[in-house]
Amino acid sequence: MEKKKFEELMDDLEKIVKELENGDVDLEASIEKYTKAMNLVKICGDKLNSASESVNKILKENGSLEDFQLEDNQ
Amino acid sequence: MNEYQTVGEFTRYLKLMFDTSTKMRHVLLKGEISNFKGHSTGHLYFSLKDETSKINAIMFSSNARKLKFMPQEGTKVLVSGRVSIYEATGSYQIYVEDMLEDGIGNLHIEFEKLKKKLFNEGLFDPKHKKKIPKYPKRIGVITAQTGAAIRDILSTIKRRYPICETILFPCLVQGELAKDDIVKQIKEANKYELDVLIVGRGGGSIEDLWAFNEEIVANAIYESTIPIISAVGHEIDFTIADFVADLRAPTPTGAAEMAVPNMSDLTNLINNFQIRLNKQITNNIVFHQSRLKSIKESYVLQNPLAVYEIKEQRLSNMINELNTYITHKISFSENRYSHIKESYILNNPDELITKKKNDFTLLINKLELLNPLSILSKGYSVVSKESKIIKDNTELKKGDIINIRLNKGTVDAKIEKVGS
Repeated sequence: MEKKKFEELMDDLEKIVKELENGDVDLEASIEKYTKAMNLVKICGDKLNSASESVNKILKENGSLEDFQLEDNQ
Repeated sequence: MNEYQTVGEFTRYLKLMFDTSTKMRHVLLKGEISNFKGHSTGHLYFSLKDETSKINAIMFSSNARKLKFMPQEGTKVLVSGRVSIYEATGSYQIYVEDMLEDGIGNLHIEFEKLKKKLFNEGLFDPKHKKKIPKYPKRIGVITAQTGAAIRDILSTIKRRYPICETILFPCLVQGELAKDDIVKQIKEANKYELDVLIVGRGGGSIEDLWAFNEEIVANAIYESTIPIISAVGHEIDFTIADFVADLRAPTPTGAAEMAVPNMSDLTNLINNFQIRLNKQITNNIVFHQSRLKSIKESYVLQNPLAVYEIKEQRLSNMINELNTYITHKISFSENRYSHIKESYILNNPDELITKKKNDFTLLINKLELLNPLSILSKGYSVVSKESKIIKDNTELKKGDIINIRLNKGTVDAKIEKVGS
């Protein structure tokens, strides 16, 4: 599951929440879904929180990527 | 010596000539801007030139403020103003009151033509529009390295979704070379693993934005495998690039907002999912618990013998019902039999015969009354002529032979006279 993109994880999570809310009364199935969804909640939350602030880069004319900072006077 | 006038006097004379001439007070000129210099006071100094000549021009800030475009070197313009002489240098110049871009009309025609062409080629077709990913990891930005556009885009992304990486592909965004530069950078950006590309620039005149109306730029956007959000100028500016792009943003800031989600919204969304999940699973468990409880407390489980008792009672009820039914049925039939046996008519058969005889006589009398010949027995006769019954004396004339039917027998008679 870790291999999936954040977007797919969020979509999976939303799908399970809706399935549970649409009255799936089978206890074992719903507990299984609940466990899976709570795991997704954790993964998604972790992904958001652990991601550090990303840097801005600029493509230079020689083809290399360098850090890009806006000029202060702008 | 008095024949000589000073330079000042002569210049003032010339200036007067200029200033009193109606022709000089309302001059309309077209030409190209050169030596453009915007002064810090807001006044604009430049020359207007064409292939053969040149005239100095000044536009005071009070008029320059009302301009709807940014004049610059090389802009073809239409100006109106007055021509006068600047005494200090003795040079004449035009004091520009109003200035319009020349050739804008042509640009609009070109725009519409290209728009139609590309539309017909299917470049704007919604079925070619790529989906913009909801949570991009890395965004490419194609715009000028300096200026409001890049600043707005980067600051908006940083504010909303700081975990997103950006790569700026700097390019020219106006002038003749801009279109090739934009195309080059779109192609370059497609070599990188990017979730979305923002292509655009800040506001400006239609000529400033023109690179985004070029066919090669449109084609490069169309061919990009990375989804593209266009962000050219302001809300009101529509360029060809906007029509081809997978999504059009009203401004660079708008493009950044469309490209990334809001971090706090996202955290709230996940929290909300968690709350809903907990609520749902609690509901589900409570539901099953209460169902189990109600089953455990059910009468049958509490009183297992009751099942037998209920069935026994039902059987005895059914036997009772059956007995009642049969008894009822027998007594009903008995009643019916005795009722028929004791009927009046069965006990007095003669009465029925007498009644029938009376009825018969009555019928005969009624028939007798209806016989048409019975009336003759009372003394009436029937007159006929040639078998036709006569009801009116106009049917007869003197000498006619008539037949009279009496109660008993008939006579023939001859008419003597017909009365009135």
